[in-house]
Amino acid sequence: MVDWVKMTLPAALAASVPSSDYAVQYLTIERSQKLSFPSATEFSPIDAHAWQVASDGKQAGRYVVDRVIGKHLYIDYAVTLDAAGRVQRVDILQYREAYGGEVRDRGWLGQFVGKSTASPLKVGVDIRNISGATLSCHHITEGVKRIVDRYGQQISR
Amino acid sequence: MASKSPDSVRRARPLLGTFVEIAARGHEARHLERAVEAAFGAIERVHRLMSYQAPDSDVSRLNRADGGAPIAIHPWTYSVLRASLELRVQSMGLFDIAVAPALERHGLLPGSTASSARASPGQQGAVELSANNRARLQVAGSRIDLSGIAKGFAVDQALRVLRDYDVLGGLVNAGGDLAAFGAEDNVIAIRDPRDPTRLLAGAALRDGALASSGLTFDPIISGRSPHCAIIDPRTGTPVTAMSGASVRATSCMVADALTKVVMLAGTAASDVLDAYGASALIVNSRGEVIATTNWQWMHPLAA
Repeated sequence: MVDWVKMTLPAALAASVPSSDYAVQYLTIERSQKLSFPSATEFSPIDAHAWQVASDGKQAGRYVVDRVIGKHLYIDYAVTLDAAGRVQRVDILQYREAYGGEVRDRGWLGQFVGKSTASPLKVGVDIRNISGATLSCHHITEGVKRIVDRYGQQISR
Repeated sequence: MASKSPDSVRRARPLLGTFVEIAARGHEARHLERAVEAAFGAIERVHRLMSYQAPDSDVSRLNRADGGAPIAIHPWTYSVLRASLELRVQSMGLFDIAVAPALERHGLLPGSTASSARASPGQQGAVELSANNRARLQVAGSRIDLSGIAKGFAVDQALRVLRDYDVLGGLVNAGGDLAAFGAEDNVIAIRDPRDPTRLLAGAALRDGALASSGLTFDPIISGRSPHCAIIDPRTGTPVTAMSGASVRATSCMVADALTKVVMLAGTAASDVLDAYGASALIVNSRGEVIATTNWQWMHPLAA
């Protein structure tokens, strides 16, 4: 039988800390381009954010980077289009949660990740995984639509 | 800098309506890339099979068939349906995949509300399973929605792909529903359900799963307040007694589903947690933080 315990400290005091500066760089543009078009030989800029991709003179598709930005979050992402203008993949390049920013001290993190596990955790370890309120990716979906509208036409030749 | 060391890869994509992150370590980088790619493939497949919106998903086909003769579905959908029925029994009806019409009424699922009133939530087992991966809705006019469990199942499948690729450790996080394996602890921060811009507690996860439910939060639009997407099948209205719940279990599918039960039942969910060997952390609407005694605390909440 499972029993329950109530925290004796007021929850507001107990642990709730601003989740400032949660940032992950997943991919650089260069690395992401290689993964999206492994055999590409040419990336010709269309504009500052988009490239026409060719492989040995043959059109392979387009590669577009974009950023979704808000009060609490910004995300750089890349959209890979094939030669027919269809979305092949969407990769997050960089993700950053920019909340209040009150806590810059890495010390609190060391305290936060604590001592209760068998293997010692590195003090100052980054918060790399977050569970809780589901973050909506609605804005990326909208962004991908905009990119398809702008760059998704069939590549001629 | 794509990852912290050459033998670890971490990638993220927008899938299942949220951000899915997959990390793998302990193998050659190119092999890890392939493993992560294949794991994303499993997530996409679950999305295609179990999406409520996609017209050709198994879920949409079952809903369209509206009772009638059993139709063939993918073995993955079949096993999620079977697990859903078991969870429904174990939770005394609190976990129910037939809440779709109520979700639509509250604007939490897209769709016409015309036929919504027909489903009386909680009365039936929603689906009837037959041999050879066939199923049908038990009641014509009702509709099912697997969004309370499919995300966790997708995480489990992606993690299984990583294991099949023989990587030493891996973690899959689908918008906060996550699971890991390997010899290293993964530090998980749990968002404060009362304020998603804050963190409430930490957890170390090595082998197993952790899922959280509560408010859905749009971090881009700051003006929109978070809303709760969990419906009480007994009343057809959104949950208000709990602000948030996190559940640890061996599978992410079970953890995902049990968060909904805990959101509804609160501390009365002991038996069902026990039945699945799970533990839970709750923040109720009064702001109290309550956890099962087997919840693995990390400092500083473990006072």
